[in-house]
Amino acid sequence: MLNKLNRIRRDFNQWSLFTAAIGFFVAIPILAITVHLFDGVGDMWEHIVNYFLLEYIQNSIVLLIGTGILTTLLGTSSAWVISNYNFPLRSVLKWVLLLPLAIPSYIVAYAYVGLLGNGGTLIGCLQTLGFSIQKIELMNIYGLIWVLSFSLFPYVYASSLAMFSSIPRSIRESSDILGASKWRYLKSVAFPLASPAIISGLFLVFMEVLNDYGAAKYYGINTFTTGIFRTWTMLEDLQSAVYLSALLIVMVVILNSLVKWQRGSKSYAVKGSTDQLKSTDRIDLKSNKRLLVWIIVSIPILFGLLLPLGQLFYWATLTYKKTFNIELLQIAGQSFTIALVTTGLIILTSLALIYFSRWNHLKSLHFFKKVATIGYVIPGAIIGIGVIRSSQSFITFFDDVFSLEIGFLFYSSSVVLIYAYVFRFLAVVFHPLEANSLKVGKNISEASYLLSAGKIKTLFNVELPLLRTALLTSGILVFIDVLKELPLTLILKPYNVQTLAVKAYEYADDERVAQAALPALMLIFTITIAMAFVNYLQKREKLNR
Amino acid sequence: MLKYSMLLLFTVSLMFSCKDSSKKTEKEQEITLYTHRHYDSDKVIFEKFEQETGIKINVVKASADELIQKLESEGKQTPADLLLTVDAGRLVRAKNKGLLQSVNSKVLDSTIPSYLKDQENEWFGLTKRARIIAYSKERVKPEELTTYEALTESQWKNKILIRASSNIYNQSLLASIIANNGKTAAKSWAKGIVANFARVPKGNDRDQIKAILAGEGDLAIVNTYYIGKLLNSKDPVEVNAANAVGLFFPNQDNRGTHINISGIGVTKHAPNKANAVKFMEYLVSKEVQEIFAKTNYEYPVNAAANTSELLTSWGDFKEDHLSLTKLGELNKEAVITFDEIAWDKGPNAQ
Repeated sequence: MLNKLNRIRRDFNQWSLFTAAIGFFVAIPILAITVHLFDGVGDMWEHIVNYFLLEYIQNSIVLLIGTGILTTLLGTSSAWVISNYNFPLRSVLKWVLLLPLAIPSYIVAYAYVGLLGNGGTLIGCLQTLGFSIQKIELMNIYGLIWVLSFSLFPYVYASSLAMFSSIPRSIRESSDILGASKWRYLKSVAFPLASPAIISGLFLVFMEVLNDYGAAKYYGINTFTTGIFRTWTMLEDLQSAVYLSALLIVMVVILNSLVKWQRGSKSYAVKGSTDQLKSTDRIDLKSNKRLLVWIIVSIPILFGLLLPLGQLFYWATLTYKKTFNIELLQIAGQSFTIALVTTGLIILTSLALIYFSRWNHLKSLHFFKKVATIGYVIPGAIIGIGVIRSSQSFITFFDDVFSLEIGFLFYSSSVVLIYAYVFRFLAVVFHPLEANSLKVGKNISEASYLLSAGKIKTLFNVELPLLRTALLTSGILVFIDVLKELPLTLILKPYNVQTLAVKAYEYADDERVAQAALPALMLIFTITIAMAFVNYLQKREKLNR
Repeated sequence: MLKYSMLLLFTVSLMFSCKDSSKKTEKEQEITLYTHRHYDSDKVIFEKFEQETGIKINVVKASADELIQKLESEGKQTPADLLLTVDAGRLVRAKNKGLLQSVNSKVLDSTIPSYLKDQENEWFGLTKRARIIAYSKERVKPEELTTYEALTESQWKNKILIRASSNIYNQSLLASIIANNGKTAAKSWAKGIVANFARVPKGNDRDQIKAILAGEGDLAIVNTYYIGKLLNSKDPVEVNAANAVGLFFPNQDNRGTHINISGIGVTKHAPNKANAVKFMEYLVSKEVQEIFAKTNYEYPVNAAANTSELLTSWGDFKEDHLSLTKLGELNKEAVITFDEIAWDKGPNAQ
């Protein structure tokens, strides 16, 4: 006991206070919801348990397994090919492979029905070619797995790409010298080495799958998230909805501890001199193998991007006269600005959480990190309730104590919305950064300390440059996520703010999918520009070095 | 370089997002509307109102449930003056939570029939939607159809298309059957419909009509205005689907066809009540009611308003005059009934 106290006294410093403060501030909404758990289950709980709970759990597990397998296959195979081989258009495809993320899953779900459903565009093409086909039934759980996998695999792709392209030359050479075949190298060296990154990508996929609302609802699949909405809105039982969210969080905690268990106490840090740390050169391919590489890359692009995009373009040509106007451009500008500010704040918060807690050894701080990053698994609407409730108590506090009416600050500015985004998406940046800083290890930083560079100086001059790729890729991912975000935005956005995702949703929700196409395309366009910009920055950096 | 350009972009955006919030300080004539409707036709109407009166309308769009939750948490500091929903049930719920207030308006009283509004004048219907049977012109004769109740007969086995129970229009239809026929009868009605399902419920109203054209089923239970929208769609697939179906208004020989409303109420703590009432009166004016009918294919509540050509071509019909408050009260019971008979799992689960 005394020993423990001594340790706490030793490890407690201003950095642990910072970590705790940031973690707490970000986690306020979830704490506001947690308080409600003490009120007990609502009166519809028994009804839910009797008719739905088993189905929610079953469907969610089937979805997780299905999308897990498919996204791992698609994401790692394309990342492997991109990071190891040279072929025409490689540098373009490297970025194109991220683009499927730019289309919101529910829009992809609608687009696929537009392609393959009754009177679908692709079905029409097949019929004119002489096939007697009426439709391909997609609106079931397998269709949902297909749609979600092809729209979410870039999470796995992005995280494993960063890892594959930074495996040091020395490791590859050792493997070659020991006589390992290419396959053996992939199986026993590269894959295990990349597994923390792959898993952190998969984790994001799982969170998105568990959180999907639009696609599952349209395809008629009951999941936890559709169930939470149903319980809250139709059965009028917010209390039980909160309990369902809590169960969802339990599922995530189980998933998370599986990840931890896999990682164990292994260190993924790679040690060596600068020359040894340089990654391997890419291999030029002969034409027969080039075909295989092309197939591997084009399958995800075709089904995740080109087909849905084609359908969206077709719809847009039918409706652009009605939907294109100056207002749409303004909306695009607003979406872009909000997403950019949020991304910046999320990166700052993640770095603070990772580094402040690295600079001390207080175990209990991990709790704050966990809670702060849990927002990713909680349905947006529930977070929305948490945020409204907590900001409400803040407003009443000001009203009671200082008799200041500050409500308008919350209702007519984007402050609350952006704060909620930070809570919701912190995990997207936090997990990859944490995985990558694990890889970098502590040796380099310790060397820097020995050379009497301060902590802040080491952070900016040594540690951050090493994380650049991870920062840019996870930054882009969160930027995309914010641009696409729907339920939170709907409930928290002030009247003078509109986003492209909300605009597209309004059309789709009103059963006017064709009109949703143009805002959706603008969304994709905005994201493409942002990606091109990051790509340009990266290239310049490389040239400068 | 990277660091600096990112930093610059970030600061500029931060300034932009702050600018948005600070520009609204002076007091001008305005009202804030929380609405579940997001039709382009509404925007046209709002703009017309702004031009004619100089009162600015701030619109917040989200689902009615979220808006009610928002109103509840915002309490007396809410910026909202009005709540507009696409069904009576949510308005009844808002009223029961004490979120609305009574309105005294001669215009509203004289224009809106009593079954389309709240007894205490806390909410008012703006437009009507009928839930009807769309039938395949090719395979079904309209003479074969009579009532909602008759759809459970065995001749319609594997023929009926309808969406999932999460849909509010289905809930209010079942609520009307509970109100008219009693709980037990309603439950066995729902069971009978499920037994006649052509497939597991999925998709939206438009998808049900497309499925008729594709031959997946013969009858679809849908809202009238979706057919209007399909007929006027830019997508040829949708136009073909709408042309393949006829409209049948059920229960004409007894209580009439089930209708629901899109409706509006003034919030309890509305900061601009007078202007809010002015806006409601504007919405039920003959002119605006005709815009609703013409562009969104909804039936007007103002008897003086002419319906559109398309609505006229569907013919007059007898409406079920069941009080909409009743529908709101029975909504939850309808949802529970749907769950109990496993509506969403389709015919094979029973």
